[in-house]
Parts: sequence; C-alpha cells; structure tokens
Amino acid sequence: MKHKWAMAIDMDRCTGCGACVVACVAENNTPTAGEEEAGKGRLMQWLRVSRFWKKEGEETRAIFVPTPCMHCEKAPCEIVCPVYATYHDEDDHLNAMVYNRCIGTRYCANNCPYSVRVFNWWPAKWEKPLDEQLNPDLSVRSRGVMEKCTYCIQRIRRGKETAIKEGRKIRDGEVMPACAQTCPPGAIIFGDLLDPESEISRTVKDTRLFKLMEHLGTEPSTVYLKKQKGPGR
Amino acid sequence: MKRRDFLKLGGATAFAALFGGCDNLPKKLVPFVIPPENYTLGESLWYASVCRQCPAGCGIVVRVSEGRAKKIEGNPLHPVNSGKLCARGQAGLQALYHPERLGRPLKLSGPRGSGKFTETSWEDALSILMTGLKKIRAEAPGSLLMLAEPMRGHRNLVVHRFLRAFGAPAPVAWDPFGHDALLAANEDVFGIRDIPEYDIANARYLLSFSGDFLETWLSPVHYGRAYGRMRQERPTVRGKFVHFGPRLSMTAANADVFLPIAPGTEGFAALGIAHVMVREKLTPSPAASSLWTAGLRQMTPETVGEKTGLRPSDIEAVAREFAGNQPGLAIAGDGAAGCTNGTFHFSAAALLNVLAGNLGKPGGLSFPDRRSAFPRAGADASTLAPLPESGFASVRNTLEKMRGGAFQVALLSGETNPAFTLPAGLKFPESLLSVPLVVSFSSFLDETSSLSDLVLPVPTYLEEWGDDIAPAGHSGDAVGLLQPVIEPFRDARPMPDILIAAAKELGGPVAAALPWKNFRECLEQGYTGMGVNLENARREGGIFSRKGSLSRTAKRAGNPPLPKAIEASYEGDAARYPLVLHVYPSIALSDGRGANLSWLQEMPDPISTAVWRNWVEVHPKTAESLGIADGDGVVVTSPFGSMEAFAVLHPAVAKGTAAMPLGQGHTRYGRNAAGRGGNPFSLLPVKDTAGAKSHARQSTRVSIAKARIKGKLVRTVNVEGQWKYENIL
Ligand code: SF4
Ligand code: SF4
Repeated sequence: MKHKWAMAIDMDRCTGCGACVVACVAENNTPTAGEEEAGKGRLMQWLRVSRFWKKEGEETRAIFVPTPCMHCEKAPCEIVCPVYATYHDEDDHLNAMVYNRCIGTRYCANNCPYSVRVFNWWPAKWEKPLDEQLNPDLSVRSRGVMEKCTYCIQRIRRGKETAIKEGRKIRDGEVMPACAQTCPPGAIIFGDLLDPESEISRTVKDTRLFKLMEHLGTEPSTVYLKKQKGPGR
Repeated sequence: MKRRDFLKLGGATAFAALFGGCDNLPKKLVPFVIPPENYTLGESLWYASVCRQCPAGCGIVVRVSEGRAKKIEGNPLHPVNSGKLCARGQAGLQALYHPERLGRPLKLSGPRGSGKFTETSWEDALSILMTGLKKIRAEAPGSLLMLAEPMRGHRNLVVHRFLRAFGAPAPVAWDPFGHDALLAANEDVFGIRDIPEYDIANARYLLSFSGDFLETWLSPVHYGRAYGRMRQERPTVRGKFVHFGPRLSMTAANADVFLPIAPGTEGFAALGIAHVMVREKLTPSPAASSLWTAGLRQMTPETVGEKTGLRPSDIEAVAREFAGNQPGLAIAGDGAAGCTNGTFHFSAAALLNVLAGNLGKPGGLSFPDRRSAFPRAGADASTLAPLPESGFASVRNTLEKMRGGAFQVALLSGETNPAFTLPAGLKFPESLLSVPLVVSFSSFLDETSSLSDLVLPVPTYLEEWGDDIAPAGHSGDAVGLLQPVIEPFRDARPMPDILIAAAKELGGPVAAALPWKNFRECLEQGYTGMGVNLENARREGGIFSRKGSLSRTAKRAGNPPLPKAIEASYEGDAARYPLVLHVYPSIALSDGRGANLSWLQEMPDPISTAVWRNWVEVHPKTAESLGIADGDGVVVTSPFGSMEAFAVLHPAVAKGTAAMPLGQGHTRYGRNAAGRGGNPFSLLPVKDTAGAKSHARQSTRVSIAKARIKGKLVRTVNVEGQWKYENIL
C-alpha cells in the first residue's frame, strides 16, 4: 500500500501556543538540551514555532510559523549524504533517516534550507525515573547522529499494521502525528494525499495554500495556509 | 507554648493501624478504548483521567504500557478540551517521573525554614500529625488551619467536612490568578456572581481587553479550540478578532487588529465603544436608552482617546464593526484583572455584551449552573463546584490572625505556593513560622513546603482517584473523573485518604462526618447515589451529558447600571520609578508551578522565544532612553523589592511600561527551577483590586538599571531570515 503523507499548517488557526513542541518532545524521546547547550543553538526539538516580527511601518505585528521537517520530494539533505543515511522512502513518500548508518558529517543539516535537522552532540541522559516515560515504539538516538521530524513514523507504521491486520485501508484521520493530535485550535492537518477523499487532499486545494521558500524547488510535503484578514470570507 | 513542647504532648497513637484496612492500590481501573480482555504484554492501554496542571480541568487519556505511563493525550469525549491539550498538559509525565519527587515523609532536622529535612516512616509522620490534631481538638479546635489551592469536587467536600466537624474554620484557598474581578463584574452587570460560558466558536466578532484567553486564562485549551473554529470552521464566516491592551501578547498577536492602549485603561476603551454604540443607536438592547447617562455621554471617542492613547476614529470604527457583526463577544482577562480598577474593566466589557444583546444566544455568552448538576448534594453542592476565586482577602486576614497566634496547627496542601506568589509585604514566611506545627501535603519541596515541620508526600494527579468540575467549557453538568493510571509511583498517600483516616482516629463527630473507608469509597458513593454507572463513566473519563444544558437566566440582563469609571493607581514615585510594571502569567510555567519541568523550561516563549530564564520587556524607545540594549542584564526595582532579569526589546509593548512573565525566580523548587533570575512576584505591593478584593498585581512602578548578571538570555534564533513576512501573513 502506497501513501503520500503530507501536512498542512493553517496560519489562520495557529496561535503559537507551543503545545505541538512539547507533544513532539514527549512522543519522540527527544532529550532536553539544558540552558547551556541551548545557548550554543543545540536545542533538540524537531519542531519549533518560529516567531517573526514585522517592525516596519506603523503597526508592529508578530507571526508564528510552526516549522517541522518539510519532507521535501526533492530533498536537498538527501543528495549530500555520503552514506545514504537519509533517504526517500518510496512507499510513504517520507524523508527518512537510518540512524545507525549516519556518520555525523552534518552535511544534510547544512544543506537543509529550513534548518529543521538537529544533531546529537552528547549521549542523551535520562535521569531515573524519567526514563520510564520513554516511548517504547522508537529508539533513543545515540551521540553523533542526525535526527529530525519523521511525521511520527512509528504512528504511521502502527496505523498500517492495524489496517493490514484488519484487512482494510487506513481510514482518514486514523494516523495522526503527536503535534496535530494535541494542537488546540486544530491548525495542523495531516493525511494521505493519495486518498482523494482525505481532509488533506481537500485542504491542499485551498486558495490560501503556500509553501515555504517555494522558489527553491524542494517540493515540500509540509505546506501552509495563509492567514486571512477581516470578517466574512 | 514552644514548638518543641507542643510536639511532645499527646504521646503515641494507634495511627499506624489506620492505613491497614485502607486500600491504596488501584484495584480496578477501567481502560479507555481497548477492553481489558485484549491485554497482551507489550500492548498499550489507554486510561481516561483529568489534567491537573492548571485549574481548567481538561480531560486526558494516558497511554500505559507494561505498567508505566508513556504519553498523555486529550480525551476526545471531554467537552472542555475535545481531545486537545496544551503544553503543560503534555508535560504531566515529567511531574510523575520527576527525579526530585518526594517518596518518603520528611521531618524537619534543622531550624524551621532551613530546608533541612530527614526522611522518616509514615507511622512516625502520621503520629506527629495526630498528636498535633488531638491536642488542639480538645483545647482549641478553631486553631486548626488548612491552606490550599482552590479545590473542587469531593476532595473539597472531604476537606470542608473534616474542618467543620473538627470545629476549625473553613479552608483558606489561594490562587494568584483567581477570577474575582470577573465574578464581581458579572454580579454588578448581570446579577449573577458566576463564570459565564463564552461561545467564541460561533461568534462573528471578538473584542478582547487584555483578555489573553489563548494563553493561561480560564480554559486555554477550550478557548484555543473555540478560536480555531471561530476562524476557519464555518463555510461562509470568519470571525474577526480585535485586541486592546498595553502589550502585544501571544493572544494579541493573533488578532486581526491590535490596538495598543496605556496600561490600566481597558475599561475606558470599552466605554468608548459603548458610547458610540448607544449614541449612534447601533444596539438592539432595550438597556441602551437608560444607559445614556451623563457618565456614558462624557465617554466620547475623543476623551477616551486621550486616556487610552487610541485614535478616536479607531474607536468609532471598532464600535460600528462590532455592532454590525453580531453575534459578538467582549472579554477581559488576566492583564486587566490585576489592575487596581480591574473590576471596572470587566464590568465595562460585560456591558458591551449586554449592548450586543447576545446573552443566552449562540455566539454570545450564557451562565451554566454548575451547582444544579448536584441536585442531591444539598449544601455540599457549593463545595463540589465552588467559584474560582483567588482568596486574596481571606489569605490576608488569615496571615494577620496567624501572627496574632490564632493557629496552632496549619495544614498546607495542593499546588499553591504562597511563599512564592504572595507579595513580600504580607510576610507569609514569617507568619507561617509563628505557627507551632505546620504539615504540608506535597509532592515536591518548594518555597512553601520547605517552611513546614513535616512534609507528607502525596501522589501526582496521575496516581489519584478524584473528580473535577471544570469552570468553563460545558453547560454545567460535566464531571471529569480521575483514576490512578498506574500504581502509585512513590510511597505517597492521597491527602483526602489521610484526612479520612485521621477522622477515624479522632472519633466522635469528625469520624461521623467522614464515614467512608477511603476517598475512593466517598467518590463512589457520591456518584452512584446520583444514579451514575461508574464503570462507564470511568471508561469515558467522566459524566458528560446527563440532561443537556442547565443554563440560568440572568437577573439583571435588561438594565444594568453603568459601571463606575475608576482610574488605575500605581505605587511608587514616577520620578524615581519611571516605568509601570505589567506582569503576566507565563504560558509555560503559569504562576511558577511548571518551573521544575524541563520540557516547559525548554519550550521557547511564543513572544520572546527565550528558554530557561526570565526577562523584562521594554519598548525600544524606552530602552534607548534608559541606555539599555537587547539582551542586557538589568536590575528591576520597585518600592517593594528588586530582582535581576535580562532585557528584551519588545516593539509592541506600551512605552513607559516594563512587562514581565511570572513563574521564574524559584529558590527552593529543585534543580530545573533554581537560578533562573528573580521572582517578579517579589516586586508587587500589597494592594486590592477595588470591588473584588483580589491582588492588584498591576499596581506598581519600577525602575530599570543596567547591571552585570551571570549568563546570557538564550533565545531560539529564527534562521529563516529569507522568509518573507508578507508571504506568510
Ligand atoms: S499547537 Fe497548534 S496552535 Fe499551538 S503552536 Fe502548535 S500549531 Fe500552533
Ligand atoms: S489547559 Fe490546564 S487542564 Fe487543560 S491541558 Fe492545559 S494545563 Fe491541563
């Protein structure tokens, strides 16, 4: 069964609350960096909510842009990996990582225009009993490897397995990354573009749709819907 | 009587036997989706319960694999949050598995307040507690004090009954972000002292007066979800959102129009809008003509413009748009509540709702009757669903009595941390130290529990039985049920169970008032008495739709009085303290209770994008005049204290204002919380909000001076400089 997983982030719904950031950390066994490492730019979060100020002009405004991995169809990170640790998963159209193949050149991170890849600078420490929380569905990455948002691939796998076991197709909305599941205003829409009936397939037809740095031709699977203005439609 | 002598009295007790017959272990949990027969090793079960990271009362489901909780999600069946959770709710597992969580009772081993404790057995700890209780039970039962956070459900009922039967005063509750101003305003305007349900999802127009409803206010997840629906869930309507306030908060940043105003002038802005609506006959409300009094007539856009800094044309435009886009809502929030004239701001906003005529309509506001959900509870109904007050006035009173020697034993419970959140002028630590025996029920050693003689470790909310009636997000009849999702992780005992056991040992009327074997039995009797199938209710995480809406009608919706316009006042001489201090609850740490969780410390603040530290926001122009640059270390001084922070230049905070998040600055709350700058609560004066008797947080001026402080402010950098703001907006 082939899928093309995609995510749309509705800027008119996102409030910038950060629930997605903590949900992602909780789901994906991402270690805390601590103040000192964070100061060196080594936050391990796979998803950040970028905040932009518009300072010019009369009205100062702020805007929040949740930024996970874009899962580009033409991914600049993939072509530079000397050992094929990051590759394109043809069945799911995911930009995937094989952690134990990664040799830590960090070339992929250099080449990612969206800066969403994070590097394990130190062996992750989980002081007991915090390790009891670790999600058994995915590994704890070791020092020296690159990691990033996977669209919660463990949840995709589980969804596929369940569907196969029950001899049916995956239902729309059955697979949901942690960020999308928790997002209070429902700003994150996720699903399979190969399912023409899915919510994501409907969403990408919205005229508000845009992509980050579209001119680079990376063909991101994570897309955005513009904020609107004023009452009515 | 000296403390030592006091402790010696009473002698040994048979308390140890008390917990013998009491089951602390969950016997029968009811999983959420997958029935228990499907249980196989390695598979997960989901259990429904209730989040207690803040008072909103969201429903949760917890994934449990091989006896360990692995992930918390929102409960899709719960009306408050419909499957969604905020960052704090997501971080609940870190409280459960916190390495610094208390697992044994602690007995003071140095001078009081030194923070030196040694571990002891439950037998020993409970006998100290019982000795104290028995001693005063005979001589002075009124000298027992319980200080807690505002509690709800049967937990509150147990506490109330225990104290009443004991002969002690009712518990004193403290929540720095209580909703007194909102309650007082609703009483004035609608004749109902209660929290309304705002139907944001169906509104076409939303006016906010420092109402940061997306961050920490009444029910952030509930209103966050409603906000998303207001914007994009209707095929032809997109609700418009206009925000007035002295600071561009995260909520304000989401507004279509942000109209900056001077601090403490929210109510004037609302009255200016009311003026235009009535003058131009834009309102269907019959109240309009009787409101056209001298008071409202003088609130012309020009006068209001001068007070608030708004352009008169903006006030007129907003008033016309608001009137023309009904149903519409006006709300005020934490930022306005803390002003000395906070009640005025809320009353003025409530008046706009009257003028819009949306009481009881979709897209407007209604008053659910939370107490009538418990028809059989009688007088206890008010303890099951109490009003979300701050309790500032009674804390203040109590501390005075405490210093006068009125209390022999004090029991402290809950997430409340008054030693951290009360203004220094109230002398909380000194007052508490004058009480001969202080016992804390707590999972962590914080500023308050460190002041006690004895700390009894309690479970986290993920290991407890309980129930909860949320203050917002349902039509009045929804009850969330807590169940322990895993076996208690530490040797902790729930506070209500300790009280029930203590009542047995005390005997007489106290035992009769708490006749249950344990707290779980108390809960079960309460709900089976109401004809509830508890097993089903536990599977779903609560009792959600018994009879539909229980809405009340407002007594005075027809012709409210015009709220009396009051100016905000500030402590401190303007020459010495040139800036007005505006404090706000941190979205991650709330009043500071989240500061010991690393996930929350490391969640970048939405506006400043800072992690792990505190800061003070000033307008670039203000900073320039003070000679301060972005990231500089500074000392912020008020007439009541001073503290260190880093300066953050904030382009949309009122000039002449210093804005600070609350929550950092802990001295005794573990490694994650310590050493993160000063505590802004320490700058605040002891001052009331007029008409509501809550703490006026926004009522002092401060000065800022550059200083050399350790470290630097860490912010997440926006590496995406090439993304065009215009493309995204
Ligand atoms: S959880 Fe949703 S609303 Fe909050 S920051 Fe993430 S995407 Fe935005
Ligand atoms: S709003 Fe409060 S109750 Fe709801 S998830 Fe967040 S912390 Fe928990």
